[in-house]
Amino acid sequence: MPEASAIPNSPPAAVPPSAPKKGPRGEVLLYARWCKGCRICVEFCPAKVLAMDPDADHPYVAAPEKCTACHFCDTHCPDLAIVVRKLE
Amino acid sequence: MTVKLMQGNEAIAMGALAAGCRFYAGYPITPSTEVAEVLARELPRVGGKFIQMEDEIASMAAIIGARVGGLKSMTATSGPGFSLMQENLGYAANTEIPCVVVDVQRLGPSTGSPTAAAQGDVMQARWGTHGDHPIIALSPISVRQAFDLTVTAFDMSERYRTPVLLMTDEIIGHMREPVEFPDFSTIKVYEQKVNEKPEDYKAFRNTPDGVPPFAAQGLGYRYHITGMLHDEVGFPTQRMDEIDPWVERLNSKLDKYMDEIALVEADHQVGARVALLSYGCSARTARHAMKAARSRGQKVDLLTLLTLWPFPERQVEALGERVDRICVVEMNLGQMALEVERIVGRKKVVRVTRANGEMITPQMVLDAMEVSK
Amino acid sequence: MSNQHILDAATLENDEALIPQSGWFERSETLQKLRKNKKFPTIWCSGCGIGVVMGALIRAIDHLGLKNDDVALVAGIGCSARMPVYMDFNTMHTAHGRALAFATGLKIARPDMKVIAVMGDGDALAIGGNHFIHAARRNIGITALVVNNAIYGMTGGQYSPTTPLGGRATTAPYGNIEPPFPICELATAAGASYVARSTVYHALELDKFLAEAIAKDGFSLVEAVSYCHTTYGRLNKLGAAADMMRSLKDNTISKSALDRMTPEEKAANTKIVRGNFVNIDRPEYTNTYADLITRVQEGEK
Repeated sequence: MPEASAIPNSPPAAVPPSAPKKGPRGEVLLYARWCKGCRICVEFCPAKVLAMDPDADHPYVAAPEKCTACHFCDTHCPDLAIVVRKLE
Repeated sequence: MTVKLMQGNEAIAMGALAAGCRFYAGYPITPSTEVAEVLARELPRVGGKFIQMEDEIASMAAIIGARVGGLKSMTATSGPGFSLMQENLGYAANTEIPCVVVDVQRLGPSTGSPTAAAQGDVMQARWGTHGDHPIIALSPISVRQAFDLTVTAFDMSERYRTPVLLMTDEIIGHMREPVEFPDFSTIKVYEQKVNEKPEDYKAFRNTPDGVPPFAAQGLGYRYHITGMLHDEVGFPTQRMDEIDPWVERLNSKLDKYMDEIALVEADHQVGARVALLSYGCSARTARHAMKAARSRGQKVDLLTLLTLWPFPERQVEALGERVDRICVVEMNLGQMALEVERIVGRKKVVRVTRANGEMITPQMVLDAMEVSK
Repeated sequence: MSNQHILDAATLENDEALIPQSGWFERSETLQKLRKNKKFPTIWCSGCGIGVVMGALIRAIDHLGLKNDDVALVAGIGCSARMPVYMDFNTMHTAHGRALAFATGLKIARPDMKVIAVMGDGDALAIGGNHFIHAARRNIGITALVVNNAIYGMTGGQYSPTTPLGGRATTAPYGNIEPPFPICELATAAGASYVARSTVYHALELDKFLAEAIAKDGFSLVEAVSYCHTTYGRLNKLGAAADMMRSLKDNTISKSALDRMTPEEKAANTKIVRGNFVNIDRPEYTNTYADLITRVQEGEK
């Protein structure tokens, strides 16, 4: 049986609200064609990386430098329209 | 093999084994239960699998699932269980998954008379499940034929990618006759031939012969099977340009093969102006009546339907052109007579029917032939 | 406004509705398990939790390192049952309530495959109730994934066997008067050897439970608590998808937290309990039948 700790991408218990000083820890890519605009990613991102695009019905990456690669958005997007890549 | 005194239901089980059936899921119901009991005992001997499911709905579902998993499969039931199986029977017809369903008919409707014979499910066999769909139904008249037509059922189900019904009855199911089966190793049933690579395979391709090859899942062919109307790949669709060809192909796919599918036994007598038409246990009555009539100098034809569906229109039409009257002998109130009337006209058809559990007697048939002159 | 983080039609090389074949798509191992010939976006409403469950399922299968050919998804009918078609496994979309029965036949024919039945609450517990308890009783090696949004969503919002007492639905316009089934207790009592519940808010916990359930020999049940904001949410004024997602965070409690409570606190608890409730070893049906075949072929009468 797989150990809990062996599951990748376990989110940290708490994400610091301020931007990390060393630059973004993750890169967010959003596929607008699949996004249905539910706003779950925008409302739940702990670092407020995403915001709704006022000219479209999908989010845009408003603050890419703040991404901590917590993976909340890409594991909770109902449309699998977000991919978060950890930056080395 | 040696000669054995065998019961019809057991012969059906033997036919299934001979045809390569390696999965049975069923629910006990009189008068079909022996089919399950024999296979519960025999399937593990040949590495096959038997399970008694929680109901007939689950049984029909399980045999479809097993065929998708690569095992030829069968279930057996009677009227009330046959009614329960209809939805999933339609699933198999829609998704073109081969399987065999045996209905050992008893007197209905509803609980009816569990130990009394009848042939009252034959129209349900054609239209019991909703929607336009094709179906094959066979009906044996003897214990040996119960074995043979079970093998044929498996062959046709694979060859035409359709569920096939074996419509028998309590008489044939429970009677015992001496039989000698051929060596099972000599019995060959159609094998699926999938020539396409998995990436090119379309499980519901509109092939010119009307029957796309069937690939079991889990062996490299990963595709989607759905009971929704689907395209050639198997995905649900609402496009008319995908639905129309599918509806057409599905509902005409057996038409091309009527000569191979529509099995009858014809006993013509030159100069006969009256014919008997029957199937299943009633055909034995009809044969007695025919022999009695002929021994008294009365000329009479006998047409025995081994295939009930698709209805053997060509043979019945030809019969209608040879004779003035066709007496349809069946243990229901005229279900197949409706088909005969449709083909030859109502004026030519005399119904010799009974739906109270008692077999029709040869005398009843002779009387009907007399009265209808 | 667009930036390099957004991929839209202009940047794609092939049919826009199919999975993009370049760059962005290839970065995600998860997305590799989606069917490349299926049109996206998915059929579900904007914000529906079923899509979140699909992501968790794919990650669990990916984590276990299973080959696509070895995985079969068998679904019933309903919004949850529309899940399998999107994934590159052996998939079946069957009849309402009957996923476990079809899956039973498939598993018996191919005991070596991992068979997962994908069902909704009404699908699994109403019309499918009988197959549910018998599959658990047999302890057949199938993973039952029941997405519980407490409503019949596909047909427009009728109450289901898991709709809360008092909840409004189109067929319970004055409030539901039927007490709901406790899915996990039902599976436990029927004989399941692995039983767990999580929610679409706790997506990574769902990954974990699904991976454990799929790896387990025996009947495993994972209840994925979700929501239907379109029907139930609207009829009961529970807000948008994100609001209902938030309430799954606020109105659930972990089993370990519950176990630390006093008996009085436990009795007063109204929150949904998340956790792994059962993980035992019982003989699995197809293994037992294989032993039976061996014994019979060795001469047992």
